[in-house]
Amino acid sequence: MSASVEGSATHATTFRTTRRNLEPVLLGTVGVLSLLAVWQLIARVSSIPRYFFPSPADVVRAGIELVQKGILPVYIADSLGRYLAGVSLGVSIGLILGLGIGMSPRLSRLLQPILNFFYAIVEVAWIPIFVIWWGYGLKTIVLALTYVVIFPVLFNTATAVRSTPRILINAVSSLGATRMQVLRQVILPGALPGIITGIRIGAGFAFRGLIFAEMVAAKTGVGYLILTSAANHATDRTIVGMIIIGLLWLMIDQLYLRPFEAATIERWGLVHDATE
Amino acid sequence: MRRNSTRAYIANLVASPGAIPFALLITAWILIPLFINVPPYALPKIEDVFGQVVLGIQDGSLPRDILDSLERLLLGFCIGNAFAIPLGIAIALNRRISCLLIPVLTFLQSIGGIAWVPLAVLWLGIGPGAVLFVIANQIFFSSVYNTVNGVRTIPLALHRAILCHGARGVQILSELVLPGALIQILVGLRTSMAYGWRALVAAEMIAGTNGIGFRMIEAVQWYQTDTVLIGMIVIGVIWVLMDWLVFSKLEQITVVRWGLLREVA
Repeated sequence: MSASVEGSATHATTFRTTRRNLEPVLLGTVGVLSLLAVWQLIARVSSIPRYFFPSPADVVRAGIELVQKGILPVYIADSLGRYLAGVSLGVSIGLILGLGIGMSPRLSRLLQPILNFFYAIVEVAWIPIFVIWWGYGLKTIVLALTYVVIFPVLFNTATAVRSTPRILINAVSSLGATRMQVLRQVILPGALPGIITGIRIGAGFAFRGLIFAEMVAAKTGVGYLILTSAANHATDRTIVGMIIIGLLWLMIDQLYLRPFEAATIERWGLVHDATE
Repeated sequence: MRRNSTRAYIANLVASPGAIPFALLITAWILIPLFINVPPYALPKIEDVFGQVVLGIQDGSLPRDILDSLERLLLGFCIGNAFAIPLGIAIALNRRISCLLIPVLTFLQSIGGIAWVPLAVLWLGIGPGAVLFVIANQIFFSSVYNTVNGVRTIPLALHRAILCHGARGVQILSELVLPGALIQILVGLRTSMAYGWRALVAAEMIAGTNGIGFRMIEAVQWYQTDTVLIGMIVIGVIWVLMDWLVFSKLEQITVVRWGLLREVA
């Protein structure tokens, strides 16, 4: 401990680093607050009618009202239920197809062109015909979401499986591994980062798809809330719904998808091995 | 002899097996109405759909819808990127601007273009204005981050080098930032087009008065499934053409030519 000089130096650096860490937070808060202030000011000062441009205070009031009446919790639960069902179905199908196509060149030659063709017909374009086939409701929405998720998962999985080094597969096979063991011990762990990337892309498209599908084909849910509220000139409720949509996506992305990505990749030792 | 030609035929099919699923699909489409009693609104006959396409081309309604949609997409693309690219560069080059704007932008981006449709309709009325607002909004947010990333990944050494050589202001932009970030910006343009295309069709369905999306949702109300199917095929074909002709070509004439990305042989 060579006393004061070094001590003050470390003190200075920590001080500087905390300042540096604080600055983004401060500036970010300033950014958010000034947006809110300008919004409130315009809504107050101008003579724009409230239904056309509600103030932040109106939105907060509408939000509290929606929660008290119990509408918002039910709608959020409905939306999330549909989302979860569609995404899990899509991930399962996409994963199986992707593994198959990735491992078998013959299957890939057979299916790749038609899969590309269907991928180009975005899910938004399927919703009208789903409505004709199954009417408005759960089935249409869940299947539309499934459709969105399948392709990114499938393509990313297939690419990741294909890029598994041949030498690893040969090594494990020559040690006497069965095909199933090769799949579980080599191909799946190796393809995992690609698979997760696919799931993240698919989940992103699916969330947008959910909001759209609920606007067109549902009688509950956050997407339904924003469209009907706007039609009834309850614009404050529309904005509550939009904020909920933003928060839900941030939550899904930051709390589930990203940590999931980090956790699986680290746990399977893919990142650590690379650095060691 | 006959056996030989059959063999050649089969060999041909095996050589391009990708055609088989398409053939199966079309056969199923032709055969299903013959054996099972499907109402035409659930699955229109293939010849009816083609008849409808010919009719649409003859009276000019199909090309008009396509052009309306494409024009809107192009306009939204230009407006969105005209804001996104300069802002992205500013955010990447200045830490203060970045700290100030990133939280707000992240939140607005996570709302997503489609959720703006109800507000757009309220503010601008049902019609082209609302649809354009949604597309431009969507494309703006998809493009900003790619621009930021593109500029941020330019090696610091290059930045220092160009400063040492006395570059100032606009020179830094034109000699370092733009070419350096170009690959990522182009990736961003492409992704933003993918999101914008979805947003366009979605917005036209809810808030449109013309265009492909509008035509499809209008057809749903009258159970004109043939029109819906044509819309789907048109959407697929346009997307493939756009991605393939416009963006692959664009990449070739800029990035590859400037030697930033070696053409993969």
